[in-house]
Amino acid sequence: MDFRLTEEQELLMSSLKELLEREAPESYIAELDEKHEFPWKPWKALADNGFLGLGIDEKYGGTPADVLTQCLVADVLGKYAFPVGVIYGLGVITIRDIEQFASDEQKARVLGGIIKGEPPVALGISEPQAGSDAAGLKTSAVLEGDEEWVINGQKIYCTLSNVAKYILLMTRDSKAENPYKGMSMFLLPTDTKGVRINPLPKVGWWSVPTCEVFLDDVRLPKSALVGTVNNGWMQLMANFEIERLILSASCVGAAEAAYEDAATYANQRVQFGQPIGNFQMIQEKLVDMAIKIENMRNYYYKIAWMMDNKMPVRHEHAMAKLYITQASFEVIDDAMQILGGMGYMMAHRIQRLWRDVRVMRIGGGTDQIMYNIAGPQLLKKFKK
Amino acid sequence: MNIIVCYKLVPDPEDVVAKPDGSISLDQAEWIISDYDLMAIEAAVQLVEANGGKVMALSVGPSQLANSKAKKDVLSRGPDELYLVVDDGLRDADTSLTARTLAAAVAKLGEFDLILTGEGSADLYFQQVGMQLGELLGLPTFNAISKVEWSGGKLAVERSLEDEVEALEVPAPAVLAVTTDINQPRLPSMKEILKAGKKPVVEWTLGDLAVQDGLAQRVEVLSVRSPKQVNRKQIRIEGKPEEAAQALIGHLSKEGVL
Repeated sequence: MDFRLTEEQELLMSSLKELLEREAPESYIAELDEKHEFPWKPWKALADNGFLGLGIDEKYGGTPADVLTQCLVADVLGKYAFPVGVIYGLGVITIRDIEQFASDEQKARVLGGIIKGEPPVALGISEPQAGSDAAGLKTSAVLEGDEEWVINGQKIYCTLSNVAKYILLMTRDSKAENPYKGMSMFLLPTDTKGVRINPLPKVGWWSVPTCEVFLDDVRLPKSALVGTVNNGWMQLMANFEIERLILSASCVGAAEAAYEDAATYANQRVQFGQPIGNFQMIQEKLVDMAIKIENMRNYYYKIAWMMDNKMPVRHEHAMAKLYITQASFEVIDDAMQILGGMGYMMAHRIQRLWRDVRVMRIGGGTDQIMYNIAGPQLLKKFKK
Repeated sequence: MNIIVCYKLVPDPEDVVAKPDGSISLDQAEWIISDYDLMAIEAAVQLVEANGGKVMALSVGPSQLANSKAKKDVLSRGPDELYLVVDDGLRDADTSLTARTLAAAVAKLGEFDLILTGEGSADLYFQQVGMQLGELLGLPTFNAISKVEWSGGKLAVERSLEDEVEALEVPAPAVLAVTTDINQPRLPSMKEILKAGKKPVVEWTLGDLAVQDGLAQRVEVLSVRSPKQVNRKQIRIEGKPEEAAQALIGHLSKEGVL
């Protein structure tokens, strides 16, 4: 078993670290967080240096890349600029959906823009009454005169929608008996008449806006449909696995950043006449944190390797997401404990990582949904 | 225009270990392109982008140079071709041997309009190789170059001195050592990294070159030692400024600093 990265991956990660040192130093990320601003400058720098084209077909100006390489990018982003890592991870699912299901015209327009530094396409699924139970969707799309789609409804937790040019919007045909066979996917320009977007205040992710979206008689041309009518659910499910894995990888980077802060602090902070790192209770915490980081990274390496080798990861990816998002928060929480009062102060990045990583156990499918995906699959293996 | 850009691989400063006896260990060090040379590479690539031609990267040194990742690293930053003189006889080469080896390699490269170097190396920083190379080749040679333009077969350069900036017209070919503020080097993208593995690389040994005076070195290094680490004395001086100043002078005198 060879755990080494390829030379190309190592060079790419060095290049990315240097880019982040230049364009997204910690002080700048903290400032953006405080001002609740989208990281436009680092995002453009990522585009200018080809990172946003990773995994996108060369036909649209991208550079083919495997899942592991994309996870490595998210890991490094997560460590040095977590909000940018989140935005990168959120973009993957909509990019993949568009690559797989959109028309050539839609692909050229949207993917070409993303590669040049436009924000990712936001994903519009959740509604006030429909989150993980997407069958409860109410937003409707009605074809009028075989020319125009008329869309009405409301979306919630639609992250990035107030900065994005497009929302990949899920609608439901209320007449379809099986809700999973009555959903459709649309590419909705956010400046379309009838679209109203309000950012929602939240605990973390201050540089990654999450919004509610009101859709009031929104008219879209027939060509705005992505893929096939009523096949939206299948299209949506096709790429959740990679999104969850890449977002998980960004959490590993965040945990490592917190661990390094804690270990450095343990060496410096003197109490009772010696550095607190001399105390075994602190050492125990640091060792447990280091083990979790090792486990988390190995976990996403393996799932990425499976995906790159076209192996199914139905329950494996859910278990990895569950473990990594929980363990990364635990590591950051322990780092806060080691830093004590300092870790709780707004002046230190630990509090930001703590606020930002907590939601990773909710977004992209809650812990409980991950159990729900993995549990039945595990049992199925032992059914006779 | 054809440009030769010289670079050096140096141990990553983050990996250099100072041992308790003061000796320096490079055993775990990754070898990376000297920071100062990244600006020379970028300047060469920008000139060729603006005027056409090609960039030939050139380096001489021990076996680390032949490392496949190190080769891709330099080529991913824009040069079209890579020429290396890899020979363990060049380990710990002084500036003279380095410059003479570079001169012998340049003689094999054919026509060129310009040779660029960094202002010094990140490990030793003697700032001599570029100047010696120019002298050996008998070419116009300048250091402290903060701007280079190419027009009508001549080089228009700016040379940043302590109190002034000289604007000079230099006939080509020439050897120029560039400053760190001449540009901000680009970062390699995945496309460039993938392309790097496909670019031509030529490797020579000292046996392939006619190096003037062979392996003779002009400088003998007796030892390299890190400064002795001393624990902080944790002396806190309090009181009125005059008294504190007197106390400080007293401590410094006691330590033999004053």
